[in-house]
Amino acid sequence: MPSGALLFQSVILGLLLGGLYALLAAGLTLYFGIMRVVMIAHSAFLILAAYLAWWSHSRLGVDPLLSMIVTVPLFFGCGVLLQRLLLARLRPVTLTMMSVLLTFAIAVTIEGLLGYAFTGTQRRIQLGYGSASFGLFGARIAVVKLIAFGLAAVALLTLYLLMKKTTFGWALRATIQHRDAARLVGIETERIAGYGFGIGLATAAVGGTALALDTTIYPSLHWHWIGPLMAIIVVGGLGSVPGAAMAAMVLGLAQSLLQIPLGTTWAQTIFYLALFATLAFRPQGFFGGRLAQRF
Amino acid sequence: MAIARRPVGRIVQVAMVLVLAAAVLSFPALAPNPYILSAGVVVLNYAVLSTSWNFVGGFTGYISLGHGALAGLGAYGTALLVTRAGLPSFVALVVAALLVAALAVPIGFAALRVRGASFVIVSIALVLILLLVFQSWASLTGGSRGLVVPRPFPGLLRPEHHRVFYFLFAALLGLALLAWWLIDRSRFGLGLKAIREDEDKAEALGTPTFAYKLVVFVVSAGFTGLAGGLYALWFGDLDPVFQFSILTGSYMVLMALLGGVRNLFGPLVGALVVGIALEYFKVEFGDTQLHLVATGVLLALVVLFMPDGVLPAIGGLLNRVFRPAQNSIREVTAAQLRDQRAAEAEAREPVDAAAGRREGAR
Repeated sequence: MPSGALLFQSVILGLLLGGLYALLAAGLTLYFGIMRVVMIAHSAFLILAAYLAWWSHSRLGVDPLLSMIVTVPLFFGCGVLLQRLLLARLRPVTLTMMSVLLTFAIAVTIEGLLGYAFTGTQRRIQLGYGSASFGLFGARIAVVKLIAFGLAAVALLTLYLLMKKTTFGWALRATIQHRDAARLVGIETERIAGYGFGIGLATAAVGGTALALDTTIYPSLHWHWIGPLMAIIVVGGLGSVPGAAMAAMVLGLAQSLLQIPLGTTWAQTIFYLALFATLAFRPQGFFGGRLAQRF
Repeated sequence: MAIARRPVGRIVQVAMVLVLAAAVLSFPALAPNPYILSAGVVVLNYAVLSTSWNFVGGFTGYISLGHGALAGLGAYGTALLVTRAGLPSFVALVVAALLVAALAVPIGFAALRVRGASFVIVSIALVLILLLVFQSWASLTGGSRGLVVPRPFPGLLRPEHHRVFYFLFAALLGLALLAWWLIDRSRFGLGLKAIREDEDKAEALGTPTFAYKLVVFVVSAGFTGLAGGLYALWFGDLDPVFQFSILTGSYMVLMALLGGVRNLFGPLVGALVVGIALEYFKVEFGDTQLHLVATGVLLALVVLFMPDGVLPAIGGLLNRVFRPAQNSIREVTAAQLRDQRAAEAEAREPVDAAAGRREGAR
């Protein structure tokens, strides 16, 4: 039986990791809600943002957090263009399958370009405060992990306020709930869907910066992220943001706790076990609503 | 398939199949050196894989990105049965393929209960989880150090080895194509295609959609396992990173889509194009990541501009050039068609129609 301090430490780390998962899964959920698109390239953009943060730190010498000033608007623009120029062109009948292939193609292209530009070498940001940590009831918590969690929390809160309190948020939720009805009351659903995609991709920019702070990155890292993220959105019920956030916290915590007896590699299998169990016994997910039933 | 109904078209079709078979079988005699021959084996392997993939992708429209994992399972299953259980190579191959097919039942059960998106997610998860397991479980699989498979014909020199396996792969390809063709013509195939066109309507009309999807998934997994196992016997060295690579699955999809998923020979044509391109990239650019970019861009272009593949596109072009009068698209509006049909019906049963009109007037 591991000591209490170790358990406590794992719980804290699990919650911090769950926060990042929650932010990224929120982006995936947005895409799915808007267009029924499973966006495989989400985590590739995540790694791209992490590389941009690393590059701005090692080549330009600025703090990686400042790279978000460029990457967030840039990714927002990319998301809008991606939806308007590529995904909107697909035939509605085969949209789900073909969009998976299209975003898969984008993910592979990004991975290839990253490998070509930065080589396959593993990269890591060396920060002045990178090794700083503080104690809390016997647990050591790295400052960078706390910053990453803080970023994720602020981004999620912003997303929540945007969705619930602004006119744009109403229009976006209306588009997600019933596109035809939304169009009838005068919402320009095409444009709103494009902006929704932009916001989803902007979460990848924030998440990637947070990731770059304390993780070693390499071009094919995105495959290690897309699996857990997709498991999270299925367990949470496709299309439900609160469901995805809950599932992210629970699974992040479970992964962190399982690392004590099983080690890092085997602990990852919890995501896939949860995915298979959910689909076999409760295909609509544990927190999903009406949307998830048919996908 | 307007061509198939006419005797001339049928003869042309049979002749084309014979020419294709002759071209495939005469390749080893024409190959200038063992490297080209081994490239031919790789391309044939791709052709078998993407034809196997097309059982699910072509008939039901469910796109699996995880068939690479099934091939990897077939490869590792064969290798482990040979090295650990001491089975003869080709017995191990068949047993491993049967095991993969059996394993496909629970996987299909989880993946196919729900529609589209979840199926793709499960298929990707399958690759990722198996990569994790086979890399970590080094005591059984050799992990990243690799697993050496004893060659089934130890006496053969390398060029001869390639030649034998070339014909084995060609035979397997023939078997897979035959199975696809038989399903395509059967009532079972009709049900599968109904699922592809509209799953709700198919279900409403009494097609046992879930059972059909599961059966065809298992058949597809079996053929994929055979292809993977044969690859293991040919190549002789397995590494989890390559066997459980998401790229293998995406190559299968790309080849089948590029050739045309609704055509018997679509995946084969796609495998020829993509397989040769991949070999070329390997020679030309070596270890750079550019082959990823090329794969991604090509896949995106096919999805965006040619989702039906090149074979239908070429067929459409030929039709337009040689038979400009015949259009596949009706050149009448729905309203015109309705009037036309009404006129026909009236001509056939004037009394009834007249009676109907009187009823209406009253």
